Amino acid sequence: MTRLNGKTAVITGGATGIGLAAAKRFIEEGAFVFIFGRRQDALDAALAELGLNARAVKGSVSDEADLDRLYAAVKAERGSLDIIFANAGGGSQLKLGEITAAHIDETFNINVKGTIFTVQKALPLMGEGGSIVLTGSSAGTTGAPGFSAYSASKAAVRNLARTWAEELKGTGIRVNVLSPGPTATELATAALGEEGQKAYGSMTALQRMGDPAEIGAAAAFLASSDSSFMTASELAVDGGLAQL
Amino acid sequence: MKKLEDKVAVITGGSSGIGLATAKRFVEEGAHVVITGRREKELEAAATFIGGNITAVVGDVSRLEDLDRLYATVQEKYGHIDILFANAGAGTIAPLAAATEAHFDQTFDVNVKGLFFTVQKALPLFKDGGSIVLNSSVSNVLGLPGFSAYAASKAAVRNFARAWTLELKDRGIRVNAMSPGPIETPALETTTGLTPEQAEQAAAQFASQIPMGRRGKPEEIAAAVTFLASDESSYVTGVDLAVDGGMAQV
Repeated sequence: MTRLNGKTAVITGGATGIGLAAAKRFIEEGAFVFIFGRRQDALDAALAELGLNARAVKGSVSDEADLDRLYAAVKAERGSLDIIFANAGGGSQLKLGEITAAHIDETFNINVKGTIFTVQKALPLMGEGGSIVLTGSSAGTTGAPGFSAYSASKAAVRNLARTWAEELKGTGIRVNVLSPGPTATELATAALGEEGQKAYGSMTALQRMGDPAEIGAAAAFLASSDSSFMTASELAVDGGLAQL
Repeated sequence: MKKLEDKVAVITGGSSGIGLATAKRFVEEGAHVVITGRREKELEAAATFIGGNITAVVGDVSRLEDLDRLYATVQEKYGHIDILFANAGAGTIAPLAAATEAHFDQTFDVNVKGLFFTVQKALPLFKDGGSIVLNSSVSNVLGLPGFSAYAASKAAVRNFARAWTLELKDRGIRVNAMSPGPIETPALETTTGLTPEQAEQAAAQFASQIPMGRRGKPEEIAAAVTFLASDESSYVTGVDLAVDGGMAQV
């Protein structure tokens, strides 16, 4: 499979979990990938796995100067950009009644503001045939007790794709949302434990958590020309969790 | 790497447009494909066009005995099914004030009842872990003046995917709907009852309503159906995948 031959991709939150799985998949399909993440040790470990067609830039999507450095590196080595997988995100648990301003700011800075500037700053490097994939979440369309800030931020991400599809009309650049459900990333499996993984997985129609590689496969579909008539769409890769 | 190596796939409405393009793509991806359609000449031409790994069975999805014959052929030839693309469907123009009972029955017979039994009668042959893709339409969430029966029938199709996902989960069979927007197929000109001028106007109007500024090509739908049919979408079930250039998304 070489659907992404010669393409240049940026993946934020690319050192671990879904981002890393997508990076592996994109490279297998022929792409050159820049991963972007906050922890140097995780980036180094990822690079060792990804091989010669990967580069790593350390930084946070909530820091505009870091994003500027990322795209300067892309421009210097590749000249242009075909694919962005705006995947960096995070969320912690606080119930209504306990929510703090810092909690809201932290969540929205990464998930919403970070996504907006990840895409905005990439645009000058992108052109006809470009594909933007935003990581949403099944939480964007369901209630998730304790996760009101996270859920709301992911609903915002889903909606960004709608406006951007209209604003990008005529450019040949598509934008879609990929919404994972329960995914067995290193982070999630460590946090949930075996019992927790079983319980979370059993909430889905497929009765299990998803593998990061399954999310990576869907990201490759949205990144490639196999989805050439899709824009502003949301692809749920959630084992049916939020679909029924 | 081919995505559907040695899979057995059945595609209804396989003579032209989306069904034909999907049959072609499935065969390119390594599948053995059985297509069905009502018009013998067109169906045979489709099989000839595709070349190898294709079997044509003439039939109408709204006739249960035709479905029985279809699956008897599949059983005889392959013994099982891995993939079903329930694609046959049609809609003719009839404003609410003028629509007849025959119009309503015809629309629901093909799009709803035909699709229901297309899937039901495939189940005994279905391999656990297979994939079912139902062709719905962006009109399942849009108002479409003159096509209310069609749009409602497609909303029914989208909802079948929900219940069937749950009913078939223990067999590991995934069920997804796929909703195309306006596509450059012969159907708009030949089956809707629009005059050539009306069809041309409709096509132009569609293009202006689509963020991508154009209608889709059958091959673009085929690529999305291939994703849903293959293991590439192994954690995707119960969804409605819109392949509509953004038409119903914004």
